[in-house]
Amino acid sequence: MLEEMGPGSRSPLTRRRFFEQLAAVGGVSLAMAGMDALGFGFASAATAPPSLSGGAKNTKVIILGAGLAGLTAAYELGKAGYQVQVLEARAVAGGRVQAARRGFVDTDLMGNRQECDFDDGQYINVGPWRIPYHHQSTLHYVRKFGVQLELFNNDNDAAYVYFEKGNGPLAGKPIRKGQIAADARGYTAELMAKVASKGDLDALLSPTDRQTFIDYLVNEGRLQRADLSYKGADGRGFEILPGAGVSPGPGKETEPFAFADVMSSRAWIVLNSVAGWEQQRTMLEPVGGMDMIPRGFLKNIPDGVIQYNALVDRIQQTAKGVKVSYTDGAGKKAEASGDYIICTIPLSVLKNIKMDVSKPFLEAMGNVAYAPVNKIGLQMKTRFWEEKHWIYGGHVYNDIPGIGTISLPSTGWHSQKGVLLGYYSFGGEAAKISALPPEERAKFAVAQGQKIFPEYAENFEKAFSKSWHLDPHSLGGWAEWSDESRKAAYPVLCEPDGRIYLSGEHLSYLTGWQAGAIESAWQQMAKLHQRVQQA
Amino acid sequence: MRKTVLTAAVLFALAPRAMAAETGQSLYNDNCAACHQRTGAGIKGAFPALTGGKLVTGPLPVLVATVLNGRGGMPAFKSDLTDAQMAMVLTYIRASWGNKASAVTTAQVSQARVKAQAVAKPKALLAH
Repeated sequence: MLEEMGPGSRSPLTRRRFFEQLAAVGGVSLAMAGMDALGFGFASAATAPPSLSGGAKNTKVIILGAGLAGLTAAYELGKAGYQVQVLEARAVAGGRVQAARRGFVDTDLMGNRQECDFDDGQYINVGPWRIPYHHQSTLHYVRKFGVQLELFNNDNDAAYVYFEKGNGPLAGKPIRKGQIAADARGYTAELMAKVASKGDLDALLSPTDRQTFIDYLVNEGRLQRADLSYKGADGRGFEILPGAGVSPGPGKETEPFAFADVMSSRAWIVLNSVAGWEQQRTMLEPVGGMDMIPRGFLKNIPDGVIQYNALVDRIQQTAKGVKVSYTDGAGKKAEASGDYIICTIPLSVLKNIKMDVSKPFLEAMGNVAYAPVNKIGLQMKTRFWEEKHWIYGGHVYNDIPGIGTISLPSTGWHSQKGVLLGYYSFGGEAAKISALPPEERAKFAVAQGQKIFPEYAENFEKAFSKSWHLDPHSLGGWAEWSDESRKAAYPVLCEPDGRIYLSGEHLSYLTGWQAGAIESAWQQMAKLHQRVQQA
Repeated sequence: MRKTVLTAAVLFALAPRAMAAETGQSLYNDNCAACHQRTGAGIKGAFPALTGGKLVTGPLPVLVATVLNGRGGMPAFKSDLTDAQMAMVLTYIRASWGNKASAVTTAQVSQARVKAQAVAKPKALLAH
């Protein structure tokens, strides 16, 4: 599958042109049917926006929310000749796609007001922060708007892992990920190779397969060919690094940990045969902050289309049109009327807004959960992780309650200061830490990070924390569908209710990703456009 | 001088905080109060109050299913709380802030968990 779709494909352009032509003739649904017939899913189809040809027939669309779904709809529909008006509750566009840098203000529902005071040039992506290489919908706009990209290091063998709930001598100790990987896999390969060479797997392996299997294990686990034992590997690092002359000369490799200690540490939880689809290398990030993507949209959407600080109070529809009542930035009541609505407001927030939709639609809206999500950026006065520990980006996986992941920046290498991600946690753990005032959250994050890096506390300068479930315009980090709700509620919400179309990451199987918002907008605007063409 | 203060604070924070025995109230404060507030009053327009409503003091299966699977913006706690912890926290909210409903047993939560098909999932290392 993948090689057929990927750059190595024999005739990717021909195939793509074929789908583009299908889309041009019959709209996205026909192109999608074509994709499905050839064994591609919709996800692989949605690498470019639908073709909205045939004219807008003097149609006005009101778009609620200027996050990635709303921006996508505003940009594409505007280009296709639609009259568009966007109402955005925040003072800025981008929705959850925000970078906190000097001057960025956040006031949460508990009344905690934070104004970011990082040094100039320092920032933290408080929302989305990495783009998988296969999110071609996101990358479509990155390319189109000339947003500069850099690599996001999503996997670093040199980064520490830290598991304090395990047992044995390795529990509660920072260990390089590569050491755990080498030892867990090396010893496992040794066991398998020895069992296979004794003939104990002969019921499962033909004689030729047996030898090939052992060859594979020797290679995979870096085993000694002679006795199939694992004695360590250069990849797990050196006690004395190899270098010039005879001293240090060849250096001295580290000794592997004992198999039992590796197992009881439970640090092997960081190992998988292959990264999950959404976490695979290569991952990318915009240079200067994720908000470069919404900024790219804004440069290409006419001024005045987006109205900021507009809080939606009521959403009405009749057989003939739609009306949205809202409160503007000056506190004045106002109204917007049009033919259709694309509503990208998260369901967690939308459920509190009165809206003319059918009862089944309303009930379906109540069937999604939203994830509490916390992040904190810690400005450090030196990049000790690079200078002292030689860790260039990547994550410190750990089992410290409330921390989730500590991540080191993939930007600004070797510069003086840096902002690292001090925690990134979800669910109950996030709820707990977010109940603390911002100074206490920072104190907590610094104290926990100190367990891993001795330089942590002495380098800490400033913090900025974000709790998405306490943001009045998001009330959660992303939608979480149960299997049950995916079956019953989700399909209901993917279809319009009268003249109201919902859109956003919550109406995709890419929840929480920018690509989910963009592809949902593409899908809904294609449906809306088809309807306008037929009217 | 400031650094000394910070270091002291750091050391203090490092002291094990999970030593005290869990109670329904401590579990509530840790897991629920960020949104529903320690008073159970919630935040108007965002997080519902747990007082005076039918959900909290009503039939158990609906209440337990809501906490396990989440609903209407509320997160799922099926992987965060054990059945015993959930029984403690539900007992607490059903008997606080003027609520007067029966205590909840671990067995009742376990039963409701099966019914709600809310199997705890291992915590993922990464998301998004």
